[in-house]
Amino acid sequence: MQTVRTRRLRLLFALFAVASLVLAGRLAYWQTFGRAELLTRATGQVRSDLVVAAKRGDIRDRNGAILATTVELRSLYAIPSRIPDTSLAAQQLGVLLGRDAAPIKVALDSGAEWLYVQRWLPEETARAIAALKIPGLGFQNEPKRLYPNDSIAAAVLGFVNDNGDGVYGVEGYYESILRGTDGRLVVERDPSNRDLAVGLREAVAPRDGADLILTIDLVAQTAAERELAAAMKKEHAASGTIIIIDPADGAVRALASWPTYDPSHVRLADPEALRDRAIAWPYEPGSTMKAVTIAAALNERVVRPGDSYNDVGYAIVGGRKLNNALGKAYGPTTVSQVLERSLNAGAAWVGQKLGAPGLNDYFGRFGFGVPTGIDLAGEVSGVVRPLAEWYPVDLGTASFGQGLSVTPLQLALAYSALANGGTLFRPYVVAGRRDADGEHRTAPVSVRQVVTPETAATVRSMLLSTVDNGIAHSAAISGFSVGGKTGTAQIAGPDGSYLDDQYVSSFAAMFPADDPKFVVLIVLEKPDSRLLGTLTATSVFKGVAQDILRYARIQPDRRP
Amino acid sequence: MIASQAVRLASPSLRAVRGARRTHARRLPLQRESAARSPARQARTAVRSASWDLRIFGLAIAAIVLCFGLAVVYVSQTTALSVAGYDVQKLAGQRDEIRRQNALLEVQGARLDSPARIAADAQRLGMVHARYVPVIPAQPLTAKR
Repeated sequence: MQTVRTRRLRLLFALFAVASLVLAGRLAYWQTFGRAELLTRATGQVRSDLVVAAKRGDIRDRNGAILATTVELRSLYAIPSRIPDTSLAAQQLGVLLGRDAAPIKVALDSGAEWLYVQRWLPEETARAIAALKIPGLGFQNEPKRLYPNDSIAAAVLGFVNDNGDGVYGVEGYYESILRGTDGRLVVERDPSNRDLAVGLREAVAPRDGADLILTIDLVAQTAAERELAAAMKKEHAASGTIIIIDPADGAVRALASWPTYDPSHVRLADPEALRDRAIAWPYEPGSTMKAVTIAAALNERVVRPGDSYNDVGYAIVGGRKLNNALGKAYGPTTVSQVLERSLNAGAAWVGQKLGAPGLNDYFGRFGFGVPTGIDLAGEVSGVVRPLAEWYPVDLGTASFGQGLSVTPLQLALAYSALANGGTLFRPYVVAGRRDADGEHRTAPVSVRQVVTPETAATVRSMLLSTVDNGIAHSAAISGFSVGGKTGTAQIAGPDGSYLDDQYVSSFAAMFPADDPKFVVLIVLEKPDSRLLGTLTATSVFKGVAQDILRYARIQPDRRP
Repeated sequence: MIASQAVRLASPSLRAVRGARRTHARRLPLQRESAARSPARQARTAVRSASWDLRIFGLAIAAIVLCFGLAVVYVSQTTALSVAGYDVQKLAGQRDEIRRQNALLEVQGARLDSPARIAADAQRLGMVHARYVPVIPAQPLTAKR
């Protein structure tokens, strides 16, 4: 009996011993070889590895007004399984969101575990929905780019797409600076998803994007957009643009493009509206180029302002007859009168005096045919064919701005060079940026001296006379001296021949003419007024210029 | 005593153990005699021994209490830290929300300051854009007495 009991005890002991050994072995395994795996599993249950998004930099005008900023808006999400009555919830949400309740109900009944009902809600709407206290609905903050001035300056600003990437304009060009660098936060969380103060915490702070301060003046920009919109409505023009530049350093004060769009609602925009006409629309400038031709000839001293020729209404260049507008003959005509009367024959005569190599060279010096280098995404260069590809007639046509294409910005800069004494500047729209290291200002870049100050002054006086006594008289502003030149250019069709009755009307101006503070270029594509489209352009100019003169507190330089 | 001797003493040989037993056997009667001779001394020894036991017990209790106290302090500190952490988180959330509200107000301010909005509202109120603003040229200042 005792022996049996002893045996059983020994067997039991052996079983316990084996079990203990197995357990000890398993424990030893998890404490040594399996330790890393266990740690990973345990950490994974409580550890949270988050990307801390950097805030995209703001964009402000030269006076500090917000043009673009990023704000966290509340997005409404739903966990449908927790909503007691999806029909009622859809109905209530439909009223507050201004949407049909049916699609909301379909979404809630779709079987999804989690879904966005609507993203980036206005704050009032979010508050109203929160007040309903519907179980299963919640809010999540999401960054959203906002443009408080709606479509104003859209062409300059560009936009940010749903991925958070800047596209076009300043948003696109300065993407890397505006975006900043995301940070990282690794923490342990409790079952309620709250950070634990005691425990693992690794943080790499995000580096927010830099704020950009533009050269754009919101008031001037608004005036430009207002006048452009009115002109487009009146003329039913295909497109248009207005550029205002400070000739002293090439800073762009306003840049409007039509058609336009609201950067906050890009999905609703016409794709054609996304093209910034000021920098991405090459067009044949027409008569506004006569000032450039004359400046080149004066600078080369091949003509003087008082030199004259006998205008018979046309010029023969390369065996081709180049007519004045309406074919009118003016008889003896000085170089100044060529501008005042906008004579094609006269411009061809001046061009012949200069010669094709000289004219082609000056086109290059004024910056035509190459991008200006403005800090906006999407600029094109325009086309000035190399001299080797010029036909003899090209000397005549190019003299009055046909047979070559320029962007509106290039032409505005050429006029800025004439306005500031002959220096061509690289245009810019970002005056500076502010980041964690402080403020960095953009230094204006002088590209080259195109003409002498004397030549520039002479051309300015000719342009003044063109407004006071010549073809651009409708641009005169009481109390102020204005220099400017109109342009009515024919438009080439797909086959290369010029279209009938379709023109690009433009007006380039500087004011006050004696010491220009602003250069303005207005271009309208295919206005209903056709040849009289320049009248609309000068009217637009007056509307913009009078606002700017008042706003900039510029004293009259003439008796009214 | 050098270390090697101490080692030898600490590990006695079989002969030494036997010798010790004999010595112990010889001493036993003496001890009995001695105990019979001085019960007071025996009592004192017992008391002394009991006193040491009490002291050790007391020390052990004190150590346990100390450890417990330290543990309580540690746990309370950790708990306080955790609570403070939650408070910090809550405050950070409040701060972020206030910043968000501030940003929204700035945007609202920018919308209200927009020249386009002001012009539209002015137009709605029946105002028109001034086409001409007379400017009075400043005359040279002269003192008249």
